[in-house]
Amino acid sequence: MSNINGKVYAMNVITPMRPWKTLILRALFFLLWNLKPLQQDLINLSFIEFARWVIIPRDAFPRLARAQREEVLRYDYLLFFSNFNGTWNQYIDAFSAVLSRGLNLIWRWSEKFPGSVPVTPFKDYIARVQFDTDYYYTAYPNATANDLKSAHIVQSAYDALAARAQTLTPAEFATAYANFVLTVQTHLGETGEAPVAC
Amino acid sequence: MPNRSGQLYGLTLLSPILDDPRATPSHDLQIRAYLAKLPTGEASPFALAPGTHLARLVVLDDVIYVGMPSCEEHLKSKYLVFESNLDGDLDDYLTTLARTVPADLDAIWSHCVGYPGATDPVAFVAYMKSCQLDTTFYFAAVNDRTLPQSLRALQTQHAVTRFLADHQGLSKRSTDPARLQADFLAFAAKLAAEPLPRPGSSAPYRPIKTGGHNE
Repeated sequence: MSNINGKVYAMNVITPMRPWKTLILRALFFLLWNLKPLQQDLINLSFIEFARWVIIPRDAFPRLARAQREEVLRYDYLLFFSNFNGTWNQYIDAFSAVLSRGLNLIWRWSEKFPGSVPVTPFKDYIARVQFDTDYYYTAYPNATANDLKSAHIVQSAYDALAARAQTLTPAEFATAYANFVLTVQTHLGETGEAPVAC
Repeated sequence: MPNRSGQLYGLTLLSPILDDPRATPSHDLQIRAYLAKLPTGEASPFALAPGTHLARLVVLDDVIYVGMPSCEEHLKSKYLVFESNLDGDLDDYLTTLARTVPADLDAIWSHCVGYPGATDPVAFVAYMKSCQLDTTFYFAAVNDRTLPQSLRALQTQHAVTRFLADHQGLSKRSTDPARLQADFLAFAAKLAAEPLPRPGSSAPYRPIKTGGHNE
């Protein structure tokens, strides 16, 4: 078991919800999905590579054979999977500090959710409803979400320069190269192993 | 469509695990034992089959009781959760997975109810889709690039960083435009000839830790 691979942490959370509250949460997710400005805080938390919420209605757990006993549940369940850079505490602290209103809107429909502020009961709650990852794979273990975004900016600028480098005079190339350096100079962070506290 | 964000697809599967009191060890433990030894770097089955950005496999033992006054309840089955962030089309992804790493898939999912095996990709895809849950909300930080594009970009970023470091300051190769252009063209030709980095490569060695949630 490891929740970590390279620079990314896999978090799994499951919380119970009364079925009538699920309808409200679905409507909220619909709004969040369709009104992109509402996602800005999530985008601004630039250490999240991927995240998803999945609502499982109480009668929708897959049943693939008659021999498999049917689930009899009172609650629907909200699953949350996140792939983020940094430590668990940094992540929850940032969630609480930056996304508290949004998180409250999403999780307030779950049983016993204490609110994301103050952070101590919020951390207690997340620790209680989290379950560990058995296997975790990432195609780019040494890169963070910001590394990826920066790499694509470098790639675009590099492609543009490389496409015309052959046809420019040396003087023109020098100017284009200087502009290229100005464009990429803040996106050259080195990827590599994450620092590990011993 | 919530399963999609731009070019990426968020796959969520819940496969019920066999509940056989005669099995020793139990099927969920056999899955966990296999996953504990499965490589997470270049030799990972998800690195060998194309298209996976990040993926996880988790045994969900039960739902979690959060305390009074909520009701305590339990699942009748344990479930294997498969969460994957992938390029392109789901059917193509699953079919390629079945064709590329059938032994690993069989070793994991043969402990699940109704699993048909990976030798028949059509049956395999149908089974996996019968376990699929629709994602309610999906977020991907970079959702307009495929995995090969991201791997290439990281490679380029690394190479460009080195090139710029070698061509800064007042040395002749930095200040002579013709020399700088020649160096850049040679660099571009060399970079274009380099193979794409392998998915999962350069994963640092990290012994398995069992330090709990806050590790």
